[in-house]
Amino acid sequence: MSTILQLTGVSKSYGEVSALRAVHLDVADNAYVTLLGPSGSGKTSLLRVIAGFELPDAGSVALRGRPIDGVPAHRRGIGFVFQNFALFPHLTVERNISYGLENRETDPVTDPKIWRGRTKDIMELVGLTGFGGRNVNQISGGQRQRVALARTLITEPRLVLLDEPLGALDANLRSRMRAELRQIRERLGIAFLHVTGNESEALAMGDVVVVLDHGAVTQIGDPDTVYNRPASPQVARFLNRYNLFTGQPSTADFQTAHGRFPIAGANVITATGAEPAYAIRYDRIAVKPAAASAGAGEVRVEGAFVASEYTGASVLSFFALPDGKVIEVESHLSQRPPETYEPHAPYSLIWNREAALVFV
Amino acid sequence: MAMTSTLGNAEPTVEPKTRRNLTTAWLLIPGVAWMVLFLALPILMMIYISFWTQTTFTIKSDLTTANWVNFFTSPTYLDSLWTTVRIWITVLAATLIVGYPTALFVGLLVRNKTTQTVLLVLCVIPFWTSFLIRVLAWRPMLGTDGAINLILLKLGLISQPIQALLFSELSVVIGMTQIYCVFMVGPIAFMMGRIDPNVIEAAQDLGAGFWRIFRTIILPLSMPGVVVGAIFVSVMVLGEFATSAALSGRKVNMLGNIIVTQVGSLKWAFAAVVGAVLTVLMGLVVAGLLRIVDLRKEL
Amino acid sequence: MQATFAKPIFAVYLGLFLLFLYGPFIVLAILSFQTGPEGGPQFPIVEWSTYWYRHLLGLTPPSRIAPLPINEALVRSLTLAFMTMVVSTVLGTAAAQAFRKRFKGSGIVFYLIVLGMMVPGVLVGLGVALLANFLGIQRHWFSTAFVLHVVYTFPFCFLVMLAIFNRFDQSVEEASWSLGVSPVKTFRKVTFPMIFPGVLSAMLFAFTLSYDEFSRTLFASGRDLTLPLAIYGTFSVEIHPNVFAFGVLTTLFSFALLAVYAILMAASVRRARRSALQEEI
Repeated sequence: MSTILQLTGVSKSYGEVSALRAVHLDVADNAYVTLLGPSGSGKTSLLRVIAGFELPDAGSVALRGRPIDGVPAHRRGIGFVFQNFALFPHLTVERNISYGLENRETDPVTDPKIWRGRTKDIMELVGLTGFGGRNVNQISGGQRQRVALARTLITEPRLVLLDEPLGALDANLRSRMRAELRQIRERLGIAFLHVTGNESEALAMGDVVVVLDHGAVTQIGDPDTVYNRPASPQVARFLNRYNLFTGQPSTADFQTAHGRFPIAGANVITATGAEPAYAIRYDRIAVKPAAASAGAGEVRVEGAFVASEYTGASVLSFFALPDGKVIEVESHLSQRPPETYEPHAPYSLIWNREAALVFV
Repeated sequence: MAMTSTLGNAEPTVEPKTRRNLTTAWLLIPGVAWMVLFLALPILMMIYISFWTQTTFTIKSDLTTANWVNFFTSPTYLDSLWTTVRIWITVLAATLIVGYPTALFVGLLVRNKTTQTVLLVLCVIPFWTSFLIRVLAWRPMLGTDGAINLILLKLGLISQPIQALLFSELSVVIGMTQIYCVFMVGPIAFMMGRIDPNVIEAAQDLGAGFWRIFRTIILPLSMPGVVVGAIFVSVMVLGEFATSAALSGRKVNMLGNIIVTQVGSLKWAFAAVVGAVLTVLMGLVVAGLLRIVDLRKEL
Repeated sequence: MQATFAKPIFAVYLGLFLLFLYGPFIVLAILSFQTGPEGGPQFPIVEWSTYWYRHLLGLTPPSRIAPLPINEALVRSLTLAFMTMVVSTVLGTAAAQAFRKRFKGSGIVFYLIVLGMMVPGVLVGLGVALLANFLGIQRHWFSTAFVLHVVYTFPFCFLVMLAIFNRFDQSVEEASWSLGVSPVKTFRKVTFPMIFPGVLSAMLFAFTLSYDEFSRTLFASGRDLTLPLAIYGTFSVEIHPNVFAFGVLTTLFSFALLAVYAILMAASVRRARRSALQEEI
């Protein structure tokens, strides 16, 4: 599989703030790549540099091996789906979609028969048949999303950049659109670079997940790897699935404010430039009565129950450690029915020491 | 950093920053050139001519400071300078006092947007009558047989018609205040409309009284509007001559009137001196007002 | 706000304020119905009549009072206002477009443009007259006065468009570029249609300002007079109620224009609201 997009050492600052720091990234052709990062990570700046809306301060962007630095945005052949959709308010749905075909610089399609036909096809692909005559103010958020997508896809770009495309939709719609976006992309065989701050979205939709932290790429990998072996404590934090402890690692154990955790057999990950940390995933912790003690190869802390969050397929329970730190425990309800815990009562939180990740 | 590429039409032959600066230049050149040629140049010309020698019938290009000396030693001219400043301050204060409460009411206290628009339009409609007609309209109001005197006589508030209402400095001030106060109301009402009512409610909840709220919240937030209004009013009043001519019967001579009369007798150089003095006065006033608030941010 | 206590006081104040604004006009309107041709421009009303309106339209037998020289002057004013409107709107929009990106010297350019509305008319008028004399150019309403009208209205158009662009979301333009449409075509097909209402208000603004413009035109228009100058000419001579009748008519005309504008705006707002339906997928 060839590389469609290559970023080499791309840096960009806005005044004092550096948004991108020497970003290197390869995007394979015909792949769904998600870019995960919290706000302020530089993910939108990255997309804007790739699209040509902004110039990088340093570094180079190449499309299919050819550098496109200095090429204006309208000549790059890269599609862009905006978070707020950016639909043309004075045009109907049909004319919004056919706009690129009719008005582009290279090979504009001026014959109405042709662009009407192609517009009809793409509307069918995204599920907007029959909406052509509507004004864009008359349709719902989900429909506007599809118009934004159709408008871009009809011009057959080599690469499509999506900036938080599902951010403006309500939760129900969002899950439906996830599947649809993947299907549409696969049908057309175009590479998608999808930027989001939502970790479950990034993991669910990407063939490859790129994690961006403060303008630098901290991890690239398939979702499974990123989820099970985050490359740094920050990545683990973005994933929202790990309890993290700070402290001092030594050969035998990890010294934290809550005791020494033996680390024999645990996954040790070298994370450069990060504080040492000890991580245990929410769903790897068992909640036992306070009297229970750690067995061989197990680690135990004691926490007082605070509250539970019922999320349908699982329950997220919160326990407070003596110094106030909160530990989250996730129990999947397919395995056992939910337990009720007494508020403020102490419980033992026990996990297998080999399940932990140690960042050194 | 020119790179060739065969991506469709992609020929980045011009460095993007340069391309952008070129577009900006092309967009600005006509406007800037217009202003330089037809605004800056005339003013400079006027200052230049003020140093020309004025003879009875024409002006000669021999440079002299005689006109300037003439201006600053002549009691008539100095008097008109003082009159101009005096009237400017009075009208500015009057329009502010008269217009601010209106702007406060319409911009802030009227909740309904439609009512707000209607009231503002009501205030602006008089402006749609030609300026000169509006000036003229004060004559039948202020004269001894004018409307005001008639009403006051009828109400028995006075026994003799008030002479000083017309053909005096007072009439000029009244006329100008009425004509220009809408320029105060507009900008201030606009700034008032931008004050978030929640802020005032929060202050009330915290126990602040009306005067406190006014002093600490409303007044500072409305200041840009006050400055804009003050600039508009000042510009118009300082350059005035029509109102003072029409309503004062030649008694009140502002710098503008002097210019008009001098041009009328073809005393171009004298007129130029007065113009130059007025320019300096204007510059000081506007620069001073602009120091109070940075206007570019407010847009 | 202490609404219960403050509002009635303010309302009364507003009433007085409006009386102050409209007073002279009301008096003027009343006096326009003065009898003519002997009736003077002051109270009391000798007899109510529409004489002066007819006099304005040239429908009365000739008297010693000359009719207002309005016909040609009116045409000149309208033409001048139209020319000014077109040129200053183009300049204002172009300049505002340039200001969408930061550039060096933007402060100087900004104040140079805004200076145009801050310099009193007498000064620029005098300056242009002097310049014209110096260069041996003749002064005309369509040349020397025209350039000054634009100098005056261009900053207003500029500020209006600046405010419009400040609230303009650039992402639609970027969307257009990403679809392969050149920036010039994007301006034509996306930006301009969206800013058009703002352009329209700028045009209206410029037209109104130019039409009533007086002090700049006084020295710069040469022999042929615009409408305000023609009226000014009658100032120094005797004033007759025909000027008042004229004032009433122009105000009614402006009122009518405003009413038409308001009706059109309301219609388009109603149309937009009707079409904003919400639907689920």
